[in-house]
Amino acid sequence: MRNYIIRRLVSVPLMLIGLSLLLFLLLWVRPGSAAFGVAGGLSLDTDFERLEERMGLNKPWYEQYGMWLGKAVQGDFGNSLVPPQNSVTSQISGRVGNTIEIGLLTIIISAVIGIPIGIISAVKRNSKLDVTLRTITILGISVPNFWTATLLLVLPAKFFGWTPLSTDFSTFGEDPIKNLSIVIWPAIILAYSSAAYTARLVRSSMLEVFYSDYVRTARAKGLVERIVVLRHAFRNSLIPVLTVIGLQLGVILGGAVIAEQIFAIPGIGLLTYKAYLAQDYTVVLGTVMMFALLFVLVNLLVDLLYTVVDPRIRY
Amino acid sequence: MSENPNTPINEAEILESFAVPPRTGRFKTVLNWIVREPFGTLGAFLIMLMVFVSVFAPVLNTTDPMGFGVDILQAPSVDHFFGTDRTGKDLWSRVLYGGRISLKIGLATVIIGTFAGTVFALLAGFFGGFVDFIFGRITDILFAVPTFLLALTLSTSIGADMPDLPGIPSGELVVIIAISVGFMPGIFRIMRGLVLEQRGTEYVLAAEVTGASQTRIMARHILPNMLGLMIVATSITLPAAILTESALSFLGAGVPPGSPSWGADLSGASRTYLMRAPWLAVFPGLALSLTVFGFNIFGDALRDTLDPRLRGKI
Repeated sequence: MRNYIIRRLVSVPLMLIGLSLLLFLLLWVRPGSAAFGVAGGLSLDTDFERLEERMGLNKPWYEQYGMWLGKAVQGDFGNSLVPPQNSVTSQISGRVGNTIEIGLLTIIISAVIGIPIGIISAVKRNSKLDVTLRTITILGISVPNFWTATLLLVLPAKFFGWTPLSTDFSTFGEDPIKNLSIVIWPAIILAYSSAAYTARLVRSSMLEVFYSDYVRTARAKGLVERIVVLRHAFRNSLIPVLTVIGLQLGVILGGAVIAEQIFAIPGIGLLTYKAYLAQDYTVVLGTVMMFALLFVLVNLLVDLLYTVVDPRIRY
Repeated sequence: MSENPNTPINEAEILESFAVPPRTGRFKTVLNWIVREPFGTLGAFLIMLMVFVSVFAPVLNTTDPMGFGVDILQAPSVDHFFGTDRTGKDLWSRVLYGGRISLKIGLATVIIGTFAGTVFALLAGFFGGFVDFIFGRITDILFAVPTFLLALTLSTSIGADMPDLPGIPSGELVVIIAISVGFMPGIFRIMRGLVLEQRGTEYVLAAEVTGASQTRIMARHILPNMLGLMIVATSITLPAAILTESALSFLGAGVPPGSPSWGADLSGASRTYLMRAPWLAVFPGLALSLTVFGFNIFGDALRDTLDPRLRGKI
């Protein structure tokens, strides 16, 4: 167990370094692009060359990467390419909290909705209720979040003169109630499809457990069905559910780019989107690394939680 | 199908379940499937409808989807079934031609993603060792980035010198490659597991003992057993690829500006006019949702039929 944790903890930074190299090659090492981003149309040859020299772009790519990595491991992701060239690290640290908040809210909402639906669907399998719930969950994974978000902005505004879009944002620390009333909307938009995924997985993994020997034994010794379902079946179907919640985070973080853009939430998703548009590659590199770090750490946590949920698992 | 263990035993039913089923013709097989999987049939119908309108878009009362018109922001009418946008483009035409792009990119992604993912998995699982190590680590690295972000990063960073292929302009090719690479790690992992499983079976061992070459074992003994899972992977990836394409286009990182894409039509400048012209917000999204829904319910039914072990699993 200890060895396993150590091995995983070592693999995380290695993986992130590998990823940064890949992204660096993709984003940075293209002829002149980064300097062009800074110059923003300023095309005098001399200026351009001087700029390249100042940014170290005339050096071979591995030297540039080495310089970037050396600073990155100290928490300095360089400066934004686009004026006013703020520090990437400070931009990320000022916004990442909002994205984490959306992610957490989304996971909570999707678990609270998805897990009971999955249990009901499994207990009443093949009934009319089950078929209805399954149809709803398939709809949930089919209808794209950017469409429902758009409708959520347009339809209430059209018919009730009300819109969930807020122009002034305040963080949770400043004004919790106002913050939640803004952040809840992207969370709901992102949550319905991951709730649908969760419900489908809970249903199928519970159905598998329903036919196991210990559930039959539990029934045979006359336990109340409710206890059989919740204590014997549900607890044992939790492992795949944990996995899916960990993987759903990837979908949620990807969706955060869209949701934050639609609802104008200043998180790292919106930062990423703006950086893509401005071809601000230092920021893109920094935010994608941040997303990857969040994703990898949560999945590491999920793997470790397995041992808590299921004592049979030993690493 | 009585899954409930509390159902009273019906002898006739049990006897019947052991009886050798009579041979059924192909037509009857299809008919049986339709009865058994009404939702799958609905899905197949939606897919066929979508393919039909995409193929016959030019003769279905459409105009040039990129052409401007004088009727600006018209509500849906007999002339413009879905209304028009701020530059007078006919939304009905754009939705129909948008189906072409969605279908094309979805199919191409699945072909490239599933094919390449399977080949890599076959090589990694079969040869193991160094090949497996390299592919495995690359997969781990790609897995660290959420799929959509990976596709977004790729589609905004590759493509300066992408060639035009017949039927696929370079702008669309970029999106196809970006989404394919995004989905490849997942397909690779599933497929590799299956190859490893196959590698340990007795018939592969038997083939090795009889002196079959490695290529022959891969092509004749392992690959045919992967077909089922490949179809399953396809049925999941196809709708997901269509959704990803539209989401990328929604963010302006997808197909070239102006192309009729359902995602792009919901975004950009048209958002300014959504209050005045709500049909602009409704129809592209409705077409997209119906298509993905069709593929999903059809895929569900297909999985149940092809591999009962996977019933309801994915």
